[in-house]
Amino acid sequence: MAQGSIHAILDQLNHIILGKPQAVKLALSCLLARGHLLIEDVPGVGKTTLAHALASTLGLSFQRVQFTSDMLPADIIGVSVYDREQSVFSFHRGPIFCQLLLADEINRASPRTQSALLEAMEEQQVTVEGEAMPLKDPFFVIATQNPTHQIGTFPLPESQLDRFLMRIAIGYPDAQAEHDLLKGEDRRHLLQHLSSQLSVSELLNLQQRVNQLTASDQLIHYVQALLNYTRESGRFVSGLSPRAGLGLVRAAKAWACIDGRDFVLPEDVQSVLPSVVEHRLQLTDNSLQADWLSEMLQTVPIPR
Amino acid sequence: MKASRPAPPKVAINWLMATLVLIALPHFLHLPAWLSIIFLAVMGWRLMNSLRGWPLPEHHLLLRAVHLLLAIIAVVLVISQYGMTIARDAGVALLTVLLAFKLLETRDIRDYYLSCFLGFFLIATQFFFQQSMLIVLLMMVNVLLLTSCMISVNDASSSIRQRLKTSGVLLLQATPMMLLLFVLFPRVPGPLWGVANDYVEVADSMPSRMTLSGLPSLSQGQTGISEAMQVGRISDQVQSDAIAFRVRFADNTIPPNQILYWRGPVLWHTDGEQWQPLATDTQPSQPEISFDEQHRIDYTVTLERHNQQWLFALDLPDSLPQGINAAMNSEGSLISSEVIRKRSQFNLSSVPDYQFNARHEPLLNYALELPDDQHPQARQLAQQLRTQYPEKTDYVQAVLNYFAEQPFYYTLSPPLLSGDVIDSFLFESRHGFCEHYAASFTVLMRAAGIPARVVIGYQGGDVNSVDQILTVRQRDAHAWTEIWLDEQGWIRVDPTSAVASERILSGIRGLLPSERRMPRAFADSPELENLWQQLREHWEAVNNAWELWVVGYDPTRQLELLRKLGMKQPDWRSMAQWLTIGMLLIFIALAWLTLRHKTQRDSVAEAYLDFCRRLSKSGVSINPAEGPMTLAQKAAQQLPEAAADIQAITSDYLAVRYQQQPDKAARFIEKVRHFKPRSHAR
Repeated sequence: MAQGSIHAILDQLNHIILGKPQAVKLALSCLLARGHLLIEDVPGVGKTTLAHALASTLGLSFQRVQFTSDMLPADIIGVSVYDREQSVFSFHRGPIFCQLLLADEINRASPRTQSALLEAMEEQQVTVEGEAMPLKDPFFVIATQNPTHQIGTFPLPESQLDRFLMRIAIGYPDAQAEHDLLKGEDRRHLLQHLSSQLSVSELLNLQQRVNQLTASDQLIHYVQALLNYTRESGRFVSGLSPRAGLGLVRAAKAWACIDGRDFVLPEDVQSVLPSVVEHRLQLTDNSLQADWLSEMLQTVPIPR
Repeated sequence: MKASRPAPPKVAINWLMATLVLIALPHFLHLPAWLSIIFLAVMGWRLMNSLRGWPLPEHHLLLRAVHLLLAIIAVVLVISQYGMTIARDAGVALLTVLLAFKLLETRDIRDYYLSCFLGFFLIATQFFFQQSMLIVLLMMVNVLLLTSCMISVNDASSSIRQRLKTSGVLLLQATPMMLLLFVLFPRVPGPLWGVANDYVEVADSMPSRMTLSGLPSLSQGQTGISEAMQVGRISDQVQSDAIAFRVRFADNTIPPNQILYWRGPVLWHTDGEQWQPLATDTQPSQPEISFDEQHRIDYTVTLERHNQQWLFALDLPDSLPQGINAAMNSEGSLISSEVIRKRSQFNLSSVPDYQFNARHEPLLNYALELPDDQHPQARQLAQQLRTQYPEKTDYVQAVLNYFAEQPFYYTLSPPLLSGDVIDSFLFESRHGFCEHYAASFTVLMRAAGIPARVVIGYQGGDVNSVDQILTVRQRDAHAWTEIWLDEQGWIRVDPTSAVASERILSGIRGLLPSERRMPRAFADSPELENLWQQLREHWEAVNNAWELWVVGYDPTRQLELLRKLGMKQPDWRSMAQWLTIGMLLIFIALAWLTLRHKTQRDSVAEAYLDFCRRLSKSGVSINPAEGPMTLAQKAAQQLPEAAADIQAITSDYLAVRYQQQPDKAARFIEKVRHFKPRSHAR
């Protein structure tokens, strides 16, 4: 059943986001690997639509928060309000108590608000007035951000970028896809009619299965070789952390699962690597990062 | 147009740059400065490309022109510096500077390898100039680095430590072969390189005339004692640590310092300032000497190149040297049949107690000659003492006493003498060293009618307590006198010992300023001084062995060693046989080690590589960074007939490697063995 439903999910998503199967597959594997997703692109290429479609397709409760520079942590987490009738403070839950939170334009919020959200992402719980409150399970954050050089943005610091398993870009559609898009139905309308392809328990099962996929010693050696390359080639300010390595394996497992395999191949690692590591690496010079990642994949030999 | 090959990774380029600069560094000592500057400038250009992305010649037509122009300028400068004849210096200069240009236009892997090979060549050229142990160590480090460059271009992901380790293992594996070739490869007599230049240097430093009044001459030649001994030269040599020869005594028993007189040429003629040997044709053929054979000393001399024919022997050898073609002249000095142009080794035996009493009237007459109308004061002193001491032996003792009692000083930096040099030394300056004393003593003897002659050579030497080798240096150069007494024949009298007996008893080292010998910090404490002394002796022992057995490994040495190793009749034929056998053995040993290692390690990896090789032969390009699934899809597309096999093999491989089903390994290996893709390659 699982393989069939994965196909159905992908079909449905690709029906909404036209001509971007790669980005869609990456986004899905990120969620299957229990990772948070950062989508960075210019406005209007379908970031929000993708998040929305994912939530609907996976049958998750969905909240959307538009981040602004005057936003406070309470706007996300919730506030305690004094109830005059019962003479107690009662906590009004914020939008974070959902299964899929779309944090739109996260880099417009102040660092304080950003970090409140990112902390919740890491801990899967929020603490209000000394009381820890667990978030829902599953809990995903899909954050979108505009390219950091736009006016009025607070770029996320590296330590917080690290909380996102993947960063992807969507990019402009090609001519055919754009033609279909312009000619076709209104996306908003389509979104409203999406049916959920998966129950929450099925999703949790799927995530469990991803976690149990076989990553052989051979594959781990390959991941280690890649990590070493980033640490020792001198190209990057600092190499990848073990956390990044863990993320890489998890994402590769999810990718393999989507491809219907119960074991991970080096090709899976290669497919997810740019999205997993790009936002965690800083180049020592200002050449193109994508070039160096593809060169890395071209030069680091796969253990035989 | 040639197909574009992959560019070497930047890491590899930077690594090579650093290595090449290190290799060229010792060459900067003798290259003209402008050449070193061009080299560094070109390297700097490449470095800026690497760091800041400066454009290279290939990026811009104008830069290409600049590149070409610079290269032409460099070549023209080399030619103008050294002329058109391609000799050692010009060749090395050209190689160095063009290597820098080659690196600048290194675009693909092939260029990179070429630069590496040129680098190896440049390392070898260093031996044209120096062959000391330290240089060899430095060159070995360079070889290690350059090898790791070639590794880095193939495996950019490896760390520096990994690269150096692989390179070290590679070189270690090559070491047995190197040693075998060194020991067994037939040697060519004489130095292979640097010959022409060496001779020019020597010719430049040969003394033309010598004058006593010119003391001290400031020429800094270090070529050793010359035939027509220039007195002032000894002063320079006193300061020189250059090695004249080394001696190993049989049984390692070193005779006391006061009998270590190393006899060289004998001087007879004087014009008052210069002393010269007899012309060859005036000499009788053979000396007549009787020896007290009980005290014979056997030893081996290793003489450094000095470009004269003299051989130095302990006073006095009782037989001709073995291992070199030489004769003894009537003065008891040994003369080689050939000029000593390379380090030579010979065995000798000497007897310190001897009677040199062959009476030869013309010779005795030579030994009385004094230039007319010179040294009036000296003659007067001689007359006065002779009348006082009619007995010859008494007179000799009286003159020695005169040196000892009057305020004469032994100094290595005597004042300049003018006018009648002997008189002004004896009665005015009274500061001098061995040759002043030997010359004036000889004059005083001749003035009193006692035949006398000057002998020059070396006195003493340093014993290394580690290897028991006596090293005689240029600073040990010495001059003494021999006088003829009718009853005793020629006997040695060293007037210097009357003035400075410590020179003879403990060697000249004690008379040199102490800071020349050891760092000041060491001189403060006796333990440190002792330590310094020991370190120095160990270092010299190692250096001696290096000079004698590695640098000096010539045909004679080779034969000697091979005989010791048990070869009865070593000639080039048997050497070639042993060389072949040895190489085979080394190959077998290495092959066994590698193969054993491999079967133990990973037969699956071997089989998969074999699979890749077979695909590659059928025209499928193999990239080690490509996943097995990707490769299988690509190969199946290119070789549709073999697609099923490829899929089956790959799926087994994936099962073993990525699905943890090791039981499929045997089946996988078997399948690869039978895998025969139909060749699509033409």
